[in-house]
Amino acid sequence: MENLKTLVDSLYLLKPEIAISCVLVLVIIMDLIMDKNKTFLPYVALTGFIITAFLVVEQYFFKTSITQNLQKLLVIDAVGAFFKLIVILASCLIVYFSLISKEVKEAFDRHGEYYALICGMVIGMFFMISSADLIMIYLSLELVSLSSYVLAGFTKNSLRNSEASLKYFVFGAMSSGIMLFGISIIFGLTGTTNLLAVKSVMAAGGNSLTFLFASILIFAGIGYKISAAPFHFWTPDVYEGAPITITAYLSIASKAAGFALLIRFITLGYVQQIDASGAWQLVAGSIDWKKFFTVISILTMTLGNFAALWQDNIKRMLAYSSIAHAGYLLLGVVVLTNQGLSAVILYFIVYAIMNLGAFLVVMLIANKIGSEEIDDYKGLGYATPFLGVCMAIFLISLTGLPPTAGFIGKLYLFTALIEAKMIPLAVIAIINSVVSLYYYIRVLKHMFLTRPQNEDLVINTSFAEYVIVLVLAVPVILFGIYFTPIVNLAKNSVALFLQ
Amino acid sequence: MTTIPIEYYLVLSAFMFITGVIGVLIRRNAIIVFMCIELMLNSANLSLVTFSSYMGNSIGQVFVFFVMTVAAAEAAIGLAIIIALFRNKMTLNIDEVNIMKW
Amino acid sequence: MTQYIYLTVLLPLLGFIVNGIFGKKYFSEKISGIIGSGTIGASFLVALLSFIQVLGLPSEQRSIEVSLFNWFNIGNLNINVAYQVDQLSLIMALIVTGVGFIIHVYSIGYMHNDKGFARFFAYLNLFIFAMMNLILGSNFLILFLGWEGVGLCSYLLIGFWYDRKFEKSTTSDAAKKAFIVNRIGDFGFLIGLFLIYLTFGSLNFKEVFPAVNAMSNTTIFNLIALFLFIGATGKSAQIPLFVWLPDAMAGPTPVSALIHAATMVTAGVYMVARCSVIFASAPAIMTLVAVIGAVTAIFAATIGLVQTDIKKILAYSTISQLGYMFLAMGVGAFSAGIFHVMTHAFFKALLFLGAGSIIHAMHDKQDITNYGGLKKYMPATYKTFLIAALAISGIPPLSGFFSKDEILWNAFANGGVVLWLVGVVTSLMTAFYMFRLYYLTFEGKERFGHDAHPHESPKIMTIPLIILAVLSVIGGFVGIPAVFGGENSNLFEKWLEPVFADANRKLSFYNSYGHTTEILLMLVTVTGAVCSILLARFIYLKRISIADNLSRTFPKVYKILLNKYYVDEIYNTAVVNPIVKISDRFLWKITDNKLIDGLVNGTADVILLISGYIRKIQTGVTQIYALVMVLGIGLAIFWLILSIK
Repeated sequence: MENLKTLVDSLYLLKPEIAISCVLVLVIIMDLIMDKNKTFLPYVALTGFIITAFLVVEQYFFKTSITQNLQKLLVIDAVGAFFKLIVILASCLIVYFSLISKEVKEAFDRHGEYYALICGMVIGMFFMISSADLIMIYLSLELVSLSSYVLAGFTKNSLRNSEASLKYFVFGAMSSGIMLFGISIIFGLTGTTNLLAVKSVMAAGGNSLTFLFASILIFAGIGYKISAAPFHFWTPDVYEGAPITITAYLSIASKAAGFALLIRFITLGYVQQIDASGAWQLVAGSIDWKKFFTVISILTMTLGNFAALWQDNIKRMLAYSSIAHAGYLLLGVVVLTNQGLSAVILYFIVYAIMNLGAFLVVMLIANKIGSEEIDDYKGLGYATPFLGVCMAIFLISLTGLPPTAGFIGKLYLFTALIEAKMIPLAVIAIINSVVSLYYYIRVLKHMFLTRPQNEDLVINTSFAEYVIVLVLAVPVILFGIYFTPIVNLAKNSVALFLQ
Repeated sequence: MTTIPIEYYLVLSAFMFITGVIGVLIRRNAIIVFMCIELMLNSANLSLVTFSSYMGNSIGQVFVFFVMTVAAAEAAIGLAIIIALFRNKMTLNIDEVNIMKW
Repeated sequence: MTQYIYLTVLLPLLGFIVNGIFGKKYFSEKISGIIGSGTIGASFLVALLSFIQVLGLPSEQRSIEVSLFNWFNIGNLNINVAYQVDQLSLIMALIVTGVGFIIHVYSIGYMHNDKGFARFFAYLNLFIFAMMNLILGSNFLILFLGWEGVGLCSYLLIGFWYDRKFEKSTTSDAAKKAFIVNRIGDFGFLIGLFLIYLTFGSLNFKEVFPAVNAMSNTTIFNLIALFLFIGATGKSAQIPLFVWLPDAMAGPTPVSALIHAATMVTAGVYMVARCSVIFASAPAIMTLVAVIGAVTAIFAATIGLVQTDIKKILAYSTISQLGYMFLAMGVGAFSAGIFHVMTHAFFKALLFLGAGSIIHAMHDKQDITNYGGLKKYMPATYKTFLIAALAISGIPPLSGFFSKDEILWNAFANGGVVLWLVGVVTSLMTAFYMFRLYYLTFEGKERFGHDAHPHESPKIMTIPLIILAVLSVIGGFVGIPAVFGGENSNLFEKWLEPVFADANRKLSFYNSYGHTTEILLMLVTVTGAVCSILLARFIYLKRISIADNLSRTFPKVYKILLNKYYVDEIYNTAVVNPIVKISDRFLWKITDNKLIDGLVNGTADVILLISGYIRKIQTGVTQIYALVMVLGIGLAIFWLILSIK
């Protein structure tokens, strides 16, 4: 009874999750009841998301670092709340994107399922972000994966869609199977699934090779979510094949949740303490995560950037670019310091805005010209100067050139690296950024420097499209010039982190 | 009555896991690939149950229930995807599904 | 109102954004014009209200810093986006927004029916935005951003009619010339900023300037001041970097009035005045500034004597007047220099706008030898132009007299007789060529063809002229010299005194001459100016043959002056051509094409080649992906085993 009481008492910590579950149920019920008119469903989801966003903001200010109440299954803290905020804001935008996407509008009429699945993903990601228990990690990961498999193949009649879905499924199921096997080994070694308890057993000397082996297996599951090499192979194919709204969603929200999970996994399971300078000290005898992540991040960004050079499909190019960005983001994890973590958080703000923006422009252009091939972008800068200029802003920001927010994000990541004395890695990262310039600018070259195939093509932008593009483009420039608020946000989020 | 040593279960579990992995890697038929994935999950289940039983710790068995639920959902979704693919491509061979590459 | 001073910066930016994005498609000329000039008018109001408020404060509280936000804080470099409201910046802000507003309104008439109407106003607003940053910024970085911003706008506006011919080349060439010459100055300025940061560890005015007082190392100040001054010569068109300004006349005339006469070109003067403490600590550079100023003044004036293009004459006159301002700076008469910035903004803007009105009437013909007798066709332009010409010639009691006289007097008292003499001769020449221009344009025979039908410009253009004319007449009364009105009559100097207090303490001139000398010198200048005007009247109204005879008697002198001392040609032969040749034959064809391109392209090719292989891993077959993943895990485990030992 005691347990039940604490559980009920701590329910207020789950307000966002409860809210989003209500939205899910509401969407499903309304979809069933209202036979004819289902156009209002996205607005229901949107309203629910916005309410949830407020609850998450409230959670951000809880000031408690770790909460033991929820049977030690979950951690509620500012870093978690921040990542939840990224997820929920991305979800709001994706719902908006879906409203103006021709692809979503034309391809199916099962709006109820579509939005219900998005809600499901959100719930999964929320739990992923705050989970402190291996069971919780596995279940939330699966919840996200299962919803996204379906979403990736949502337009059933397209071959690319089903192919994306199948590849996603096989790869995802396999890596989660590997992860589960790792979890079962850890359970066998320690007799518990709680990460903190696992850490204390390990610190007491149970740190065998088998244990490290199991850790690697668990990382396979997380690595697949953040598309780190060599677990990234599904990314390009799925991103290319999935409906573009879902591609954008996977590239932001799913990745944010994955990174939150990774940080949680490392800090709860392997970090003994955070010293005064903010450096994370690992438990004696644990995997040398620093070396491990160094290799992974170099592999990830190099593979991502180099493969992107050849792409002709802009969605596929952006997929590779998002792999490369996962590599950059890993740089913030490599250093294993609070400073690195705040750099990751800062980069996520920036990355979410610019990547969503780029996908949005691609989607709007695809709405009009029905193509995602870079060759078909010839002269589009003149057919639609507004979208052209905004695309330029997003791509320049993705490259990381001033005066855009992307530059600030990279600047802080590299500063964290340099302060951690990992200069060779910083150099590799900078070279990678230079390489990435080629494929981003190639798109702009096609848009502005080649003659249009159809001289009379004029693309009109509706007011709703204007607004949403500006909502994303203005911050990219604004945060590139006036970045103190986001830097402070990142620092404040980390201030209360752990211990 | 002699109890079966824990190693036997673990070896069986590892064997099932490896069989599953290799099956995913080499079988062409999508349905068999899915079954191999199920095999991987069940190998984990087996070791969870084994540990749970030997340590007298119920967490592992509870976990297995969750995993079984997830596996069921996964199977449903997997079959749905296979049907969708089959309608579009009229094949179940997983290595022929490669229009998106490079 | 001072706490809202940032509005004077933001409003023009708003105008730029609105006109720039929506102007061409959605706005009629009327709306574009109203937005463009309205934002500047509102800025002017804010500046004016702030000025009135500051006027009510005791003089030690008149320096207020309005901090907007912390821009960045990396290492010990802490930069706020903050605006400095003090006596100097308020004066400059009033000039820029006030004259700017008048010119904006005038442009509505001048640019009527131009296809780039909205674009023009967007650029003008952007210019005011950058200029206000330059003036109000409370640290060197904001100042520098403004500095670069006005350079950019100047480039955009000179090349505004990018499809038109200008002299032997195109307006884009003129724009490029202005930009590149300015870059040379900017480079010097940038080095100056680095030196300041190295020396003081800060770029904020309120930390740097007090620190100057505490230091006594002259060498570093000489260096800093020198590089800052190089920056100023670029922006303010002084020797040796003045060549861009005459070509800048390729832009629309309101641009010449606003940017290349009244405001941007005085940025260098403002910067020197702002850094007066640094300059006062570098006596050698002060002398250099005075000499360069004086030489530029007389040099440009001589060229102005023979030019026939109305805008060219005014351009050289601007260079010459800017020389005056630097002369004032160099002899430590900072407030006199700023005073001249103000009066000059009035009458030179008026002259340019008048010229614009004439060019408008004469269908874009700019040669004054083809004008004549325009007086009766354009009464308003004629009267205001005459007032401006009298003001620039230094005829009392018009504004130009007071500011010029103050500079000359300071040059005499603090700089020596030579500088004074150069100043006086320049002043006489100024009077002469201004009235040569006046008589050839408005009086005498009509020398234009019958197809030209000169007409007065519309009200929207003449009313700005009238306002500026009034300002040119009364503008000087805020700075009546002590010799006439007693100790406290020079309100302008009193107002600016606290800003220059530190610098003046360092220079500590003592005035050894009495009032009699001052009045005597004044008489000499004024009499000389009147004589010059009469001479111009005699030659160009009565005996035009004298001018021809003169040019025939001294053909070489005439030719040299007409060709502007061949400075452009000398630069071309000595600097531009060698650089072009070296670039072409060596830097481009060998270093760039072979070495750098080879290196870059080679790297790029290798990367492309490698990436071509890398992407082949992505075979499209799911099982290969899974295989690579399993192999990756295997490798990681292998590494684990190795690392455990």
